[in-house]
Amino acid sequence: MKKYLNYFSILCFALFIVSCSDDYLDVNTNTNSPTNAVLGPELVLPVAQYWSAEINHRNRYSNTIGNLFMANWSQSDGFSWYSDEFLYNITTSFYSIIWDRTYRNALKQYRVLQSYEGEQYANYSAIGKIMESYHFQILVDIYGDIPYSEAVLRGENPTPAYDDAQAIYADLIVQLSAAMALIDGATADALVPSNDDIAFNGDMDLWKKFANTIKLRILVRQSGVGALNSSFSELASVGFITDDVVVQPGYAVVENQQSPFWNAYGKDSGGNVINNNQATCATPFVLDFLDSNNDPRIDFIYKEPATGHLGVPQGILDYDIPVVDQFDPEFVSLIGPGLLKSGTQDSVIFAAADSYFLQAEAILKGYLAGDAKAAYENGIEASFDYLGATGASDYYSQVLPSVGWDSSSNKLRAIITQKWVALNGIDAIQSWFDYSRTGFPLNLPVSLLASTPDRPVRLFYPSSEITANSANVPSQPNAFNTKIFWAN
Amino acid sequence: MEKHNQGLLILLLTFFLQFSFAQEKTITGIVTEDSDMPLIGSTILVKGTTNGVSTDFDGKYSINVKLGEILVFSYLGFTPQEIVVGTSNVINVKLKEDSESLDEVVITAFGIKRAKREVTYQTQRVDDELLNQAQPTRAAIALAGKVAGLQINVQNNGVNPSTQIILRGLRSIGQSNQALIIIDGAIANSGAFDDLNPNDIESLNVLKGATAAAIYGSDAGNGALIVTTKRGQYGEAMTIGINSTFTFEDVAYMPDFQSEYGTGWQGAYDPIENTNWGPRFDGQIRQVGPIFADGTFQTLAYSPVKNNARDFFNTGSTTQNTVYFSGGNETGSLYLSMGSQDTKGIVPNDTYNRTTFKANATQKLGNVELTLNSSYFRDKSNTVGNSLGSQDRTLYWFILNQSANIPISQYSDWRNDRNSSPDGYYNGYYQNPYHMIDTSRDKDITNRLNGNMSITWDAASWLTLTGRVGGNFFAGTGKEYRDAQVFTDAYTRPSPNTSFVVDSEFQRTDYTFDFLAATEFNLTEDLSLKAILGASSRTTQFHGGRVRGDNLAVPGLYDLSNAATTQGGYNGGAYSNDFESRQYGYFTDLTFGYSNWLFLNASGRYDFTSTLPTEDNSYFYPSIGLSAVITDAIPSIKSSVLNYAKVTVSNSTVYNAPGAEQIIESFEAPLGFPFSNTSGFELQNGYIDGGIKKEKINSTEFGLNLGFFNNRLTLDAAYFKTITTDNIVSTTTPNSSGGSSLLTNIGELEGTGYELSLGGKILKAKDFSWDMTINFATNKTVVNKITDDLTEVALSTNGEFGVYAVVGEQYPTIQASAYYRDPNGNVVINPSNGNPLSTTEISGDNPQSGLKNLGTTTPDYIIGLSSSINYKNFRLATTLDYRTGHVYYAQGSDAMEFTGRSVESVSANRQDFVWPNSVVETSPGVFTPNTTIPITDGRQDFWTNVYNEIKENYVRDATALKIREISLSYSLPTKYLDNTGIQKLTFGIVGRNILTWLPAENRFSDPEFGNNGGPSGNAIGIGGYFQSPPTRSFGFNVNIEF
Repeated sequence: MKKYLNYFSILCFALFIVSCSDDYLDVNTNTNSPTNAVLGPELVLPVAQYWSAEINHRNRYSNTIGNLFMANWSQSDGFSWYSDEFLYNITTSFYSIIWDRTYRNALKQYRVLQSYEGEQYANYSAIGKIMESYHFQILVDIYGDIPYSEAVLRGENPTPAYDDAQAIYADLIVQLSAAMALIDGATADALVPSNDDIAFNGDMDLWKKFANTIKLRILVRQSGVGALNSSFSELASVGFITDDVVVQPGYAVVENQQSPFWNAYGKDSGGNVINNNQATCATPFVLDFLDSNNDPRIDFIYKEPATGHLGVPQGILDYDIPVVDQFDPEFVSLIGPGLLKSGTQDSVIFAAADSYFLQAEAILKGYLAGDAKAAYENGIEASFDYLGATGASDYYSQVLPSVGWDSSSNKLRAIITQKWVALNGIDAIQSWFDYSRTGFPLNLPVSLLASTPDRPVRLFYPSSEITANSANVPSQPNAFNTKIFWAN
Repeated sequence: MEKHNQGLLILLLTFFLQFSFAQEKTITGIVTEDSDMPLIGSTILVKGTTNGVSTDFDGKYSINVKLGEILVFSYLGFTPQEIVVGTSNVINVKLKEDSESLDEVVITAFGIKRAKREVTYQTQRVDDELLNQAQPTRAAIALAGKVAGLQINVQNNGVNPSTQIILRGLRSIGQSNQALIIIDGAIANSGAFDDLNPNDIESLNVLKGATAAAIYGSDAGNGALIVTTKRGQYGEAMTIGINSTFTFEDVAYMPDFQSEYGTGWQGAYDPIENTNWGPRFDGQIRQVGPIFADGTFQTLAYSPVKNNARDFFNTGSTTQNTVYFSGGNETGSLYLSMGSQDTKGIVPNDTYNRTTFKANATQKLGNVELTLNSSYFRDKSNTVGNSLGSQDRTLYWFILNQSANIPISQYSDWRNDRNSSPDGYYNGYYQNPYHMIDTSRDKDITNRLNGNMSITWDAASWLTLTGRVGGNFFAGTGKEYRDAQVFTDAYTRPSPNTSFVVDSEFQRTDYTFDFLAATEFNLTEDLSLKAILGASSRTTQFHGGRVRGDNLAVPGLYDLSNAATTQGGYNGGAYSNDFESRQYGYFTDLTFGYSNWLFLNASGRYDFTSTLPTEDNSYFYPSIGLSAVITDAIPSIKSSVLNYAKVTVSNSTVYNAPGAEQIIESFEAPLGFPFSNTSGFELQNGYIDGGIKKEKINSTEFGLNLGFFNNRLTLDAAYFKTITTDNIVSTTTPNSSGGSSLLTNIGELEGTGYELSLGGKILKAKDFSWDMTINFATNKTVVNKITDDLTEVALSTNGEFGVYAVVGEQYPTIQASAYYRDPNGNVVINPSNGNPLSTTEISGDNPQSGLKNLGTTTPDYIIGLSSSINYKNFRLATTLDYRTGHVYYAQGSDAMEFTGRSVESVSANRQDFVWPNSVVETSPGVFTPNTTIPITDGRQDFWTNVYNEIKENYVRDATALKIREISLSYSLPTKYLDNTGIQKLTFGIVGRNILTWLPAENRFSDPEFGNNGGPSGNAIGIGGYFQSPPTRSFGFNVNIEF
């Protein structure tokens, strides 16, 4: 009896102890994940850059919609893959992933990169600013007015206001200049990224050039509108990128570690061809263009079947007319070996060809000094290089419009059309922006399922904005005729 | 752990020894009522002790007593009688009905016992007999329909089903709405409840409102289920029993499939298609599947195969056995049981076994009573994997992606039969499901030890002290794997399957410590006080780990060392998750009684939790209630009709705390990281309000309990109102804010409802009786506010359909893309192609733009009916329930649209047609009838790309009437059992869900299924295609007691 009473008193005592000790409740700590108190920028940057690449190259992200809108890609028989794209079925969920991932993954992470206080973080801060500008421009180009000045503040402002697209463009120029100034002004003890920078390996000069090239892209795109045209003068001294800007974290043929484009359209980590590969093929329009211009890149951009190149018109309903199974994957031109290189291939976020064609256009329009023809031909060379094709000079020496510089009566048409070929499968969404702005390439066919005379010029604001930011989101503009400001 | 077991063993041995040496006089007899009908289960207690027994089926009893002791005979609703033990060894007793003694004892929080008249809130009891009438494998499943205001949602009927237990509807958006589960006085959880052998449960007491549990602090807001497990009685003769049940289970119903069109694409026959967009069935012999290298191929008649999907499923079976021992002497009691369950599922190869042990013991040592309640549980499940094939789909998806003309069940021999083999199977896009179930398995083992020990010390005549320590140890391991399969590339085949193995393990430990001091005394002659002062604490520790390895080198060796790669990072598949949470509180509970008819109860708890910021982590939980027995206060209103009336009113405020680590923003390695030379972490997507606090639930309840005709008929009624404010919710934020959710306090929900429970003996004669209870409950939760900026918050959405809380609407609400309609409700079409327009594709300026509210997903009302008819030794028991007024999203039906098996897809013979009663919007707001423009491509694309995008099509009436349980049992009369050593022999047949009525528009599945998405499983109403079809079961039961 006495023993039990002892137990009883021990129990009461235990209760007393647990209730009175001060740190009894101090157990709410996360022992599995770091918080920003312990995390350096070198562990933040690679994830941000990883997202920059994923947003371009994942299945049904930017590159996909660009290729489908720009008649680069179509659908083989036996698949029901691209119905919404062929219908131009622009809804609040259509490719909203681009918006969502850009803001909540890439931009969020670049914002963290800028949150480190102190001069020693100047380079990281600059990278954060440069990449923010890169992404914000693309968002403006897809959506027009977007949250910018109040965006990505998380808890400080869960419902950001929308900024005017043109004003955002103007501020991006300011931000890029500020980033370049940060790099120039970095003190000796400022941290310089090394292999945590999976794009430039810490080469801050290249970062400046990249910033300058983004500026060029911004200025060229709005050059028709003109408000910022005077800013072109800032560009000349720094120079532009001359190599593809790629992200390479150490992609591996491992589940979830493959290069995103390969993972989306090539093989799975077990080395097996995936359905997407079989489902996605050329259109007759793009094959005709390449073939009629004797473009050797045709066999690199598209894989030639044993029966010869064959494209499928976008949106046909009956694949078996006139010949049954004519468009089966084995008979059509799937994505080629110049694009699908390997599971470890670099992920392009800004093509060198794009840089050259932008320079060509700026020179053509008189904003930059230089040789437009050389820039144009460098663009074509860069494209051949990326694809692994040879004979660029033979190609652009041909007397063919939109191929040879001198034989092209409409130089802008040549630049934009060649950019379209060069960015096929790499960064095709840029070609869509160019098409909205210039109408090139000419005679680009619409899908047979389209109920509108031409392709969309913008996407709808995603449903998450409509439900969660209703006070700020503008009314949904018409996706087919309310152009982004630079296309007017 | 080992030490614990040794202690248990010693305790048990002590009891056995004591039984062997007990020396007493044995009294036997029969207890009857006035009409000589035996009273089954009446109590015989030795006065002043807890030595007692109860009468058997024939009203007979046997008790060991000493000469001169006083026996108290009692039965609910009858006046107790006391008889002094004399020389006679037989005492037969007739009890008289007593209208005033409706006062059964209610077990409330912390095991506190109160006379029902004192209780200021509404409770409802389910006893062992009602609970186990159809021999359920899980107690929760067997509660459906038996308690007014209790909604049981069975989430699936796989081999290891889970349930949602909801009292009085949903009152929280982001936190748990599941009732608090108390097992033998200690806080447990629904997992521990599911893991109990239902045969070990003595009774369940449902405390419906928050008031009842307010002194538990957090977790109390959702009402409570007080589970009391069986224990031996002091002085009870030893009983050994065996209870065995064997049931069969089969598919109750399948979705409605079309059977007019078969394999094909765009109207043309295609021998390898998974979809049914081919030509109309014509009975012709056609090629099926690929042409093989030798030029041969499989042929089949092009006709529908009846039940081709249903025939894939087997008849399952379940065997349950429980062996139990119950007994006691004057100072000790013991209940021991061992149970087993073996189940073969309806999905081929799915199996489940479990073993349960239960040991409950009490021992008196003078004025101290020691109690041990313990149970051990182990289960093992082996089911088909969750990520089948290259698309990582569930099994049912593969079944739905087979053509109507394919006799699926004939392709089981995939290892030997060429037409069933991976390369030879007809379907070029989805693998043979038999191949999938053999090569993709999910195997889990869990163990649970649940126990609590308490010491009760009657320190003085007016003071009882109780200390209780409870522990719940739950641990498990799992292995899921998939084999690789490469297909021939000579013809179209599915993408190859990569192989993987996932090893996972977890351990969860919950400890509780309670201390209670209870006192009772009379302040004046009329005024009494029962007071409790207490403290309690609770700690939860969790550890979980998971590693995934891909691309196995040696086929069939499912070990991580055999994987080419393993991945790190929370998202990548290698991670640990650890957390700990603690909570403690002090409480008091005071009940003042006046003249034994008026009672005032007040309680308060001061509670501290670890899951909130330390500077602001304590809350006070008050409750107050009043109970008045009107028939005692004003005896003149008593009549031969009305014999008892009690009214109650109560109010309480309780709080829900956020979960462990919920308020910490951290970084995680995203999917794929770390790469070989790059590590990285990403800030979590959701962000957190720094000033987060607990969510507040205020409940008010009015109750009325009436007894008529000497309690032959009873009516319990309640009205409740619950206001929830400061809901802790992950609100949807625009992604442009840098994350898609914000954890914060928002909104106000208001829940109201009525409950009526009418019970009575409809008929009572010598050999015949018919008892029935009808439970009726309504519940309506309306969202009064979200935030100043938001009018809705999504619990779970994919942008096209989802479950939301919407201001002004009932909660939860389904929203989906819907038909764009004119003011008269006519469907507006796109004049360029005749297709109906979806509200997600019209201009954003249009007020109909976006997703549309399509109804609530909780029933307007639930009716439950339990009936029990006894004739001589036969008993027929039935429980059914009816729910209506709600909708659900039939995801499976959505999935069937693409495969062309939906009935809708043949409604226009796959032709273009003018949408009935459609209109064209000629200019904004101006609509003219459309009688000429047909829809485009009714052959296929209309259905798969247009109709399928209007998700309103899959929001279905969730009304259901189910015969949940039916059982017929027969107890052998005791006269046949004399001298056999057998005291009781009962056998019967049992059936579960044998009939379900669904409305015609719900062609797919059980609307109760798969309702556990979103935060805390609150996104009720999205019925998945991830569960196998609904089943029904029936079988046999035998119960023998010695």
